[in-house]
Amino acid sequence: MPRPLCRLLLLVLLCAAGTARAVGGPDCSRPMTLALHEHGLLYSSGTGAGIDKDFADELIKRSGCKVTVTIMSRARIWQLIESGALDFSLSGISNEARDKYAGFAWYFANKYYLLVRKDTKVQKIADFENDPQLQLGVIRSFRYSKNANRLVDQLNTQHRVSYSSGLDPLYDVLALNRIQGMIIEPFDYSQVAGSSIRDSTIIVDTGDEPIPHGLIMSKQSVTPGEQDKWRALVKAMHADGTTLRIFARYFSPDLAKAMVNF
Amino acid sequence: MSRVRQKLLLLLILAAALGVTALLWRHEQQNVAITRQAQLDAELRGAAARISQRMVAYEQMLRGVQGLFATKNIGRQAFRAYVESLQLGADFAAIEGVGIALIVPQSDKHKHVERLRAQGFPKYSIWPAGERNSYAPITQFEPFIGRNRSVLGFDPLDTAPRRAAMEQARDSGNAALTGKIQLITRPETEGESGFLMFLPIYKNGSPHDSVETRRASLLGWVFAPFQMSSLMASLYGESSLSTEVRIYDGVELSARTLMYHSAAADDTPPGERLAATEYIQIAGHTWTMVISLRPGTADQSGVDKSQLIGISGIGLSLLLTLLTWQQLTGRMRAIALAGQMTQELRESETRFRRMAQYDALTEVPNRALFGDRLRQAIVQAKRDQTHVALMYVDLDTFKPINDTYGHHTGDLVLKAAAARMQACVRESDTVGRIGGDEFAVLLHLVDDRQDAMTVAEKIRQALNAPLELPGAPVLAIPSSIGIAIYPEHGSDDALLSRNADDAMYVAKALGRNNVQFYRQELALAPPEAVI
Repeated sequence: MPRPLCRLLLLVLLCAAGTARAVGGPDCSRPMTLALHEHGLLYSSGTGAGIDKDFADELIKRSGCKVTVTIMSRARIWQLIESGALDFSLSGISNEARDKYAGFAWYFANKYYLLVRKDTKVQKIADFENDPQLQLGVIRSFRYSKNANRLVDQLNTQHRVSYSSGLDPLYDVLALNRIQGMIIEPFDYSQVAGSSIRDSTIIVDTGDEPIPHGLIMSKQSVTPGEQDKWRALVKAMHADGTTLRIFARYFSPDLAKAMVNF
Repeated sequence: MSRVRQKLLLLLILAAALGVTALLWRHEQQNVAITRQAQLDAELRGAAARISQRMVAYEQMLRGVQGLFATKNIGRQAFRAYVESLQLGADFAAIEGVGIALIVPQSDKHKHVERLRAQGFPKYSIWPAGERNSYAPITQFEPFIGRNRSVLGFDPLDTAPRRAAMEQARDSGNAALTGKIQLITRPETEGESGFLMFLPIYKNGSPHDSVETRRASLLGWVFAPFQMSSLMASLYGESSLSTEVRIYDGVELSARTLMYHSAAADDTPPGERLAATEYIQIAGHTWTMVISLRPGTADQSGVDKSQLIGISGIGLSLLLTLLTWQQLTGRMRAIALAGQMTQELRESETRFRRMAQYDALTEVPNRALFGDRLRQAIVQAKRDQTHVALMYVDLDTFKPINDTYGHHTGDLVLKAAAARMQACVRESDTVGRIGGDEFAVLLHLVDDRQDAMTVAEKIRQALNAPLELPGAPVLAIPSSIGIAIYPEHGSDDALLSRNADDAMYVAKALGRNNVQFYRQELALAPPEAVI
């Protein structure tokens, strides 16, 4: 190919790439921040890996932005999202209060379950609520599905809730019988299955529908127009099967499909 | 209301009032507990957030050191200058220093020791001694002063808690904390516990996006030892004087895992007091934070009004019971008082009636009662066709006795005379005093004159019997007795009385100390004719 033609072709390609980012991609004119929290298969600081980490890497790569990823507690994440000091986080669920300061881009849905010690004889969520001796462990600032939220709120008024900034200590105190139940999600199954509490616990259905989880975007720092662009990225990841592939690394194909195609 | 019922009612009221007090007391206690629990929870949240944020700051500081190594191979002077430029002030008071521990394969151990000795540390060696596949001796620790000098050459990989954190940091690429350890910069005698934070250093330009690549490209670690008490002391924020904080390594709550206690002198287990617990995860490591009320500080907040409610309630309950008792017994006492007054009135009435009917001195019926009984006896005798005898008895020597020995002796004579006359008649008969020394005797149902005469003589002789009185010689009381019989001596009380009186005067006229029946002829005759 003649040299001037090559130069022209290169120029056209560069322009096309720049235009594409300017038109469809998010605004990357400033470094952005994304926080992960330790939670079962979502992210483990022990291995530095997890679904959220994989999803974040892919999302950041597609956005073309400079995004700094940090690990912090869920309570702090929500606080910083509200203030605008943090731009993004992952695997968030919505409620009325959060909708005021956060936008969401859904990419999977799952149900919440009550993991409870077998020796409590609890068969359904009401059994746990009705036994005043039973203590529930939850992660501070976590919200769940309707019935699970009602259980947490009810037990909280009775001082029957122990708080943690992460999930691992709750498994430990469940094994020690200092708490008798905790609320888990499918991405916590592997931790349960691989730990000593597997044989001493059962999983109780909360009776709730699956709850959508998504990319959390701070309304303070990410404009509505920019939020749409990030939603488009998340949607594209779903459309081309990337999200499913990420989930399939951690779950059986059927469960991964059920979680991603909601 | 019976006494038993009354007591039951009082007990019921007392029990109900105390029950209400107990309910209010319990309600207040629950409110106080809720308030205190909420205060503890808020304090716990604040303290946990401050610790988490401070640990993030420490991590960020270490990331700066990590970043320094990401740029180029750093010499001793550059590292020292960098740490000095960090100007770790009061906020970083807990940090004993910042150090580097570099991986040294066993094959390079000798060369490594020689190099360090050549750099101005002639006594440098890797310790604890022993042959291992690889070492991670501390090659630099800044500021290199005082006790910090002692750590040079120490291989943290050789101790389990440090190795676990180092491997976690290596595999994750993130900061990792050790559990509770005794810092080697601090002698064990100080009893201060601490922990280390490690961040991995990877080879420049090498990929470290997976566990395998991270392990392969590991150069060593940057780390910082922290003293727990200094860390807690450097936190800024509100804390209550009435609470104390305990931080345990992991989730086990024991003296072995206790890393920090804000009131170390107090040994009361927190489980016996109001407490709030939160599990904090920092860099993949768990701390359990327990905030509890300090012993003896429960009432300092002024929130607890339960004691006041309890004391007031018990006081009011007793007062209510007392008032009820007064209400109940007031009626009873009024009834008792009325009964007593009625009794007194009755007794008074009886007394007055007796005074009106009986002679106060001799206690025999007076003229009025005697006259009444005489009239009744005549009516009865008229209906039954029977006889009644009426006697008038005059004590012949009463006046001289009275004059000679005085009224007191005279009164005793009258009482003795009355008693003797009563002793001579039946219970159904009546002895009455109708004048100063004049008595009358009414005999119901006499068959004939002889009956009356027999009784009269008996009386006369009884009176004549010797009478011993204090302050007087032995006396006899001779008497003159006149008898009138119904119906032959009179058909009514007035006539019968007059005739008996006449007969008595006849007896006196006949020399006294004798008994006379009424005789019409004598009665109409002048006194001298009677004689």
